[in-house]
Amino acid sequence: MRTRRNPKQNDLLAALPAADLIRLAPQLEPVPLPLGAVIYESGGEQGHVYFPTSGIVSLLYVMNDGASAEIAVVGSEGMVGISLFMGGGTTPSRAVVQSVGRAYRLNAAQIKREFARGGALQRLLLRYTQALITQMTQTAVCNRHHQLEQQLCRWLLLSLDRLPSSELVMTQQLIANMLGVRREGVTEAAGKLQADGLISYRRGRISVLDRAKLEQRVCECYGVVKRESDRLLASHAVIAA
Amino acid sequence: MKNLCSIPYKRGVAWRVVSATHSSAPDNPKDNHLLAALSEPSLAALLPYLEGIQLPLGMVVYESGGAQRYVYFPTSSIVSLLYVLANGSSAEIAVTGNEGLVGISLFMGGETTPSRAVVQSAGWGFRLRGEILRKEFESGGALQHLLLRYTQALITQMTQTAVCNRHHAVDQQLCRWLLLSLDRLPGDELLMTQELIANMLGVRREGVTEAAGKLQAEGLIRYSRGHIKVLDRKQLEARVCECYGVVKKEYDRLLPEFGARLH
Repeated sequence: MRTRRNPKQNDLLAALPAADLIRLAPQLEPVPLPLGAVIYESGGEQGHVYFPTSGIVSLLYVMNDGASAEIAVVGSEGMVGISLFMGGGTTPSRAVVQSVGRAYRLNAAQIKREFARGGALQRLLLRYTQALITQMTQTAVCNRHHQLEQQLCRWLLLSLDRLPSSELVMTQQLIANMLGVRREGVTEAAGKLQADGLISYRRGRISVLDRAKLEQRVCECYGVVKRESDRLLASHAVIAA
Repeated sequence: MKNLCSIPYKRGVAWRVVSATHSSAPDNPKDNHLLAALSEPSLAALLPYLEGIQLPLGMVVYESGGAQRYVYFPTSSIVSLLYVLANGSSAEIAVTGNEGLVGISLFMGGETTPSRAVVQSAGWGFRLRGEILRKEFESGGALQHLLLRYTQALITQMTQTAVCNRHHAVDQQLCRWLLLSLDRLPGDELLMTQELIANMLGVRREGVTEAAGKLQAEGLIRYSRGHIKVLDRKQLEARVCECYGVVKKEYDRLLPEFGARLH
């Protein structure tokens, strides 16, 4: 069974006024997001912005010694490549596909031109960027103050919110890389969540069995990010902005 | 706030200090690098609305979730953006001084943020009503580009805080924090208690005391009565983690018009 692809499967594209989307549609190029694909390298020129319709892209920073830390996740609620309209055209962080999916993309010249028109598209992208900033800052807070198990819950919930099902295709090693912690720590935390019946984990697949419990167990950081995104990107807020 | 004085700025009128507690003279709007980087007509359009304002230590510029009516352009002060958790502990997200502005949500959208903005090093700045800035911003052009590039640089500082919080030891973080703060001040001295630094970094005070003690014993800084003076900046730069360099390079790249203003 295949669903027909549609730009409106991305929340930002769906929130645009009809006239803007009609103008944009012929420029939108559908592309696959294969697992592990590097969308941007650190400091690399960013040729396109990506609007995922499915899948998850992780923004992470890789240190000189190879250790990494995730800064934010982006799925069908958002876009990857803000530095093309914010300015700079590159970032010190890297963007990697963390969960396989698809996206529509616009090239650098197209997004710059559209952004420069001002109006609804510009306001929407800036509000989205502000929501993304909240996710990034809350990652900083969470990294400082919260237990690995709570961080894992936050990470699972943020990922789930960006996926159509309650299943993640993901190894523990990759989660450890994302969170910037040792693999043993993730194994232990995931084992506890599994023993308590919140998730089931096997062969690189994580199924969430009890989302309500996960939401009880997570630190406040998840709620802060979720509420702020909902507030900034609620359709009435975007139109009224 | 009692010792907060604010006077409208007028062109051609000599600045008079009403009650400066720390710095003797504030400050021309061009002491803020963003304002200085504006074209003359752009700056001229804002000047009648810029109010000189004293920013005393600990003043809350914005409360978490609180309405933000003004953007602030520090000239000789540092404002810390931090998040306060439900249990009262806190973690700094970014620092802003004479290189930037506080209140990006006024032009990015949303008008409030979950974080709080607090004066971390006393001094002066200018403030501008949000709607005045928004009007200029929405007309596009150089001012919009400048503010967006600044915001992108700020984002790098925030993300690198997340990385640093995950991977680096307290004394490296303290070095990063000192260098970022120094880059945003005109002098080489910070007005700051160790307790406040601990709150900013989100660590225990004892950790800061120990790390600062080590830096002092080795002659990198001198700490007395809430004053931190940097004696050997080179050594601090040798000691700091890579996060400081990443942030500094991004600010330099994104905001080349600041040129040699940042050390």
